[in-house]
Amino acid sequence: MNLATMKTKSMVMLAGLIVVVNGFFPAIWILFTSLKTESELLQFPITYIPRDPTMVNYYQAFTEKPLHLFILNSVIVAGASTIITVFVAALAAYALTRLKLPKRNLIMSCLLAVSMFPLISLIVPLFQVMRELGLLNNYLSLILPYTVLSLPVCTLVMASFFQDISPDLEAAAMVDGCTRVQALFKIVMPLAAPGVFTAAILAFVNAWDEFLLALTFLSRESMRTLSVGITLYQGEFAFPWPLISAALIVAIVPVCILIAIFQERVVGGLTAGGVKG
Amino acid sequence: MKLKKLALAATLASFIVGASASFAQTTLRIFTGGQQRPDVMRKIADEYEKRTPGVKIAVEVGGATSEAQQQYLNTVLTSKDSALDVVLIDVIRPAQWAAAGWAEPLDSYLGADKAKVMSQYMKAYSDANTVNGKVISLPYFADSQFLYYRKDLLAKYKRAVPKTWDELMETSQIIMQGEKNPNLRGFETAGAPIEGTVCTFLVPLWGEGSDMTKNGKLNLDTPEARQPFQLLGRLKQAGVMSPNVGEIVTDRIRINMQAGNLIFAQTWGYVWNRAQNDADSKVKGNIGVTTLPSSKTGKSATCIGGWQLAVSAFSKNKAEAVKFVRYLSSPEVSKQQAIAASHLPVFPSVYKDKEVLAANPWFEFAGPIVETAKSRPVSPRYQEVSDAIRSNMNAYLSGTKTTDVALADMKKRLEPVFK
Amino acid sequence: MKQSKELSERTLGWLLLAPVGILLALIVLYPVAKLLISSFHTIRLTEPWLGEPFVGFANYVRAWEDERFWGALWNTILYIVITVPGSLALGLGLAMLANLPFKRKWPVRLALLLPWALPLVFAGLIFRWFFDFKLGFVNDFVSRFGFDPLPWLTDPILAKIAICITIIWKSSSFMALVLLAGLQSIPKSLYEAAEVDGAGKWLQFKEITLPMLMPAIFVALIFRTITAIQTFDIPYAMTGGGPGDSTETLAMYIHKNTLDFLDFGYGSALAAIMFIVSIIATSGYLRYTQRSAGRD
Repeated sequence: MNLATMKTKSMVMLAGLIVVVNGFFPAIWILFTSLKTESELLQFPITYIPRDPTMVNYYQAFTEKPLHLFILNSVIVAGASTIITVFVAALAAYALTRLKLPKRNLIMSCLLAVSMFPLISLIVPLFQVMRELGLLNNYLSLILPYTVLSLPVCTLVMASFFQDISPDLEAAAMVDGCTRVQALFKIVMPLAAPGVFTAAILAFVNAWDEFLLALTFLSRESMRTLSVGITLYQGEFAFPWPLISAALIVAIVPVCILIAIFQERVVGGLTAGGVKG
Repeated sequence: MKLKKLALAATLASFIVGASASFAQTTLRIFTGGQQRPDVMRKIADEYEKRTPGVKIAVEVGGATSEAQQQYLNTVLTSKDSALDVVLIDVIRPAQWAAAGWAEPLDSYLGADKAKVMSQYMKAYSDANTVNGKVISLPYFADSQFLYYRKDLLAKYKRAVPKTWDELMETSQIIMQGEKNPNLRGFETAGAPIEGTVCTFLVPLWGEGSDMTKNGKLNLDTPEARQPFQLLGRLKQAGVMSPNVGEIVTDRIRINMQAGNLIFAQTWGYVWNRAQNDADSKVKGNIGVTTLPSSKTGKSATCIGGWQLAVSAFSKNKAEAVKFVRYLSSPEVSKQQAIAASHLPVFPSVYKDKEVLAANPWFEFAGPIVETAKSRPVSPRYQEVSDAIRSNMNAYLSGTKTTDVALADMKKRLEPVFK
Repeated sequence: MKQSKELSERTLGWLLLAPVGILLALIVLYPVAKLLISSFHTIRLTEPWLGEPFVGFANYVRAWEDERFWGALWNTILYIVITVPGSLALGLGLAMLANLPFKRKWPVRLALLLPWALPLVFAGLIFRWFFDFKLGFVNDFVSRFGFDPLPWLTDPILAKIAICITIIWKSSSFMALVLLAGLQSIPKSLYEAAEVDGAGKWLQFKEITLPMLMPAIFVALIFRTITAIQTFDIPYAMTGGGPGDSTETLAMYIHKNTLDFLDFGYGSALAAIMFIVSIIATSGYLRYTQRSAGRD
């Protein structure tokens, strides 16, 4: 091993370290906090690493509230809206980039404009819409708005990737008897895998995080999603950080691992096969 | 003959059972916050279901904070939704609910009983639930701010429990100098832009014998209106109050009190039990509660808290809902709550109950303090009032506005509300 | 023949756009119409006896004269001007670092994802704890180096700095995700060819990476700008707008007027103004996409 590769290697390691530290430090704080007792957390001067790690907060997080149900609800809502969003956005992005549509930019702008209204001002009329449709306390009452919320960003992200894919590939496929829609799903989407995957993550996390609609539309405790559910551990005045941290860890870690595996296996595979040349 | 009678009785019985089964089952939905002990509410509701055949109670649990609950309720009630029958509301809300037409006035349901029913409650609570002569809601449980103090430290330095703010400051300084503990502060109260900071302003103002409004008009052009600023400014200047008072939220006061870092604190009733029972409390057995200080000439007053029961104006079962509310707002349930959840009663009589006192010995002292509780300014636009007070108080305590500027800005925002 | 093909392409295009259109009509159109109509009426739920009279542009005039609105608007603009470039710089840096050839990719990916996966409100609360005067680690560091602890959240300037740091940290994750995907789709052959031509790293970045990344950068910038205009949760959780109103944003003020003061008329007018601000702020980007579209 020569000096140059040693140098590159250590540079790469350093780069990784920077990214990891930047991303992880609050998560580490949550992890440590979840292992502390409240009195240790509130001690002055502060401690960093828990002196007396305890798992009691995790136990309490599951026994005090139906945390498993919160997770399940969030998975259902975020999962469903992600699938719908990616599907619908892919169609739209394809239409906008590949088909010669009049007023393309106007359509793009309208789509963008959707995300420019603050949700807070829309919540009361939206509630009325959901009630008219009889969807209150139904997962659809969140799945539909979340889909709409993520549609603009997902459409644009995918469109920006579709643009870079050469139309020749499609043309070749269509000569082989593919229809345009088949070409989209068989040729364009796999080639744009990083973009599709990014759009999916964006849609998923948008839905996973949302609070205000979830608070209002799914008001039954067994229907609560995580972002609302976790705030239920807090008191009118008190904010039990160790307990909430434990709930946050339970909420975040599985999702991250899932996404990481998905990314490595599925997307890694797709891109390796696709964009090579 | 006997047999015939028996058969008759049997048919009659089956008839009654059948009737009650076919009798339309009413389900009442009651909305409560996660912190108002929905578990205790459930037990009370079970008991009520047993006593009232044909009525089922569904307890719906909302967000944890008063704010999160109100956000949900605003949406539901703005849409005139009939999903909720009874709603537990914060003591600051009856006026807003009355004005918005969200609460069914209870006068006609109480009928001739009205005067009798309302007179059983502590006066502060019958007042807080009556808006323009109409009964908007009935009290469920009480709360108020108290002056918490360290009995051991006062005894060690042979100081009396302070009656005035000046005494509080003097005592704090003596003890702080004597203890030489850099973490020990004399006094703490809420200073972040939160609801509790409204009380930080009002309590010293009331202690001067003044009030924010007079005959429905704004009354802040008085020398007394400057006092809350001056007083807190002095306490902060002298180091009796921590320099970061501008970021102090309610629970931080409890934490600091419990850690033994405070001599005096102005905060709500929940602190007593935590300071007494939490495993990590360093002040077990050393905490006392008393009335909040006033000026030399004024009279002590405290901020009222607690939760009220309102019947939704959009409910489809109002008559049944009112009956349930009257049950919830009875001395019997008040006692049950006091024992099971340490909720402060709204009936003077319950404070003297032996079982209640056995479960909560400190209620003996708390009762007379709650009696001195006053309502925060009553206005349908209370949220704007609260916002004007808390944000300017917070700016003053953070040192970004002077008394003159803070008071002038506060007035400017309040004028359109009290025009 | 050619015309009919164009036409069918057009029909297909509209067909593919139909699901988006239906969803938007269902979920967005009615609420937005309602919002615009409300903004021309007085709707105060706290004083229903006022009725809901039509007041023309009165709510907009009121905003023009409302000092607090201007304060909130300036704060919002400040957050946009600082955090959009800030998170682009940090996000681009992180994406480029994360795109290096690591043996194990997942820790790096996870690190990019974590800030994004942490719900906004909690990100705000956690950083509020970090910047806490007494129990925060920032002041712990400050005092370990022998300085006096700083009142991060109760000083107007320090509070803005703390909020900007938090926003940049949180949103750079979104930036990095979008940009990393863009980096991944740049064919390696381009760099290999450049290497053969003897182009240095900087030249490669300038001539290959940046131009190829432009579409992704613009998408990321547009949405980052829109979310920056709507900045709400982080200042709400960290300072509640304090000290005074010095860190309050437009979205917080709208929230206050709508859900707190129940002044739907004024709240709607403010929301409409925010919409106009968004259009202005993003029109630059849109013009760019228009030009690039004109090129192909």
